[in-house]
Amino acid sequence: MTLHEEWTDKLSDFLDDELTSEERYAVESHLQGCEACAAVLDELKQVVARARALEPRPSRADLWPGIAAQIEATQGRAASSASILPMRTRAGWRVTFTLPQLAAASVLIAAMSGGLVWSLRSRMIPPAAADRSADASRSNVPGQPPSVPDQPSLEREPLAERADVLPVSLADAQYDAAVSDLERALKEGRSKLDPATITIVEHNLQTIDEAIRQAREALAADPANSYLSGHLVEARRRKLDLLRRAAALSTESD
Amino acid sequence: MALNGDTLVQNEIESDVALAAKGDSSAFERLYRTHVTRIHSLTRRMLGSQIADEVTQDIFVRTWQKLGQFRGESAFSTWLHRLALNVVIERRRSFAVQRGRMTDDPSALDLVTVAPARADLKVDFEAAIEQLPEGAREIFILHDVEGHKHREIAAMLGITSGTSKRQLHRARMLMRKHLGGV
Repeated sequence: MTLHEEWTDKLSDFLDDELTSEERYAVESHLQGCEACAAVLDELKQVVARARALEPRPSRADLWPGIAAQIEATQGRAASSASILPMRTRAGWRVTFTLPQLAAASVLIAAMSGGLVWSLRSRMIPPAAADRSADASRSNVPGQPPSVPDQPSLEREPLAERADVLPVSLADAQYDAAVSDLERALKEGRSKLDPATITIVEHNLQTIDEAIRQAREALAADPANSYLSGHLVEARRRKLDLLRRAAALSTESD
Repeated sequence: MALNGDTLVQNEIESDVALAAKGDSSAFERLYRTHVTRIHSLTRRMLGSQIADEVTQDIFVRTWQKLGQFRGESAFSTWLHRLALNVVIERRRSFAVQRGRMTDDPSALDLVTVAPARADLKVDFEAAIEQLPEGAREIFILHDVEGHKHREIAAMLGITSGTSKRQLHRARMLMRKHLGGV
């Protein structure tokens, strides 16, 4: 540490009035005879002034449609989801879920995610597009991932057809990375979970994945459908939440 | 008694909070539009622009879910800001641990130390903040941008006040480079 650093290290505390009176007096005395340290202090003052003057900047996108879709979905499943996996409480992180609760969750998710999107597709997909998606479904080998598992089907559509696509707000790269990490964490903690719990968590994940896949297919056929867009956001969020809670549970089981 | 503009706005907010707590999503949308800029700025600065939209949405969804817990003991904006900070800190921990993102590279700001054009001063200052090492960045934002005290930051982040002070000084010294000081 140089002589100057010994003093400059104290300049932020000096600026914030965090020094004792003796320390403050020592710094003041040094500053009177040291132009270099006085210059650093001036620059630190500029940094602080610039930071304090920063104004909030709005988001480039309107986030409300995504929020509205999520709270609408939340309202519909509030009572049930509260009994699936309790949220964090003030008293601490206690994750407890029983087999019957998870079984109920499985049924609920299957009903909400799969059936709803399937029925929407049936009503809204034009016959030609329905044929295309049916062909795509048939081309997938059972038990194997869809042909383009990590990319929304939208990305295979011509640009002109995607011009009015409502953005799905979860950032794909970040989302996929987070899901991947949580899946890895869950895999590592798998041995600490009850086998029945693992079975049901995995079944729920498969159901949600299927809902995501179907929502993406439906959106490919009807890109401007805000309900489907919101449903896809919600399904992906649900997957992230389930993974987070299951991973936390495996950690808690230590 | 005449009401000034701030009081009227505050009354409208309180009224919308009460309506939203009863399930009025239109009232909640008004609350969202009033507060989203500040919340989004906080998330963008703390977590980066890549996930700011998603986290901001998460914050407002959680706000909707927790409105029943708001007792009016503080201003709604204060309560919302605190909730947002909790979500942001939780998310930072989650990403940092799971993705090994706790890089602490003091040369990170070298990429943005070119003196900015005057018209871009604010944008470049924000860009420079984003490039700070993560530990220093969050404390710089919480202290110098958001105005929290070291003891509050220490409690929020589970660190000591001394660590908070050291990281703040480190951040300021790095940001000072951006001003052309070194």
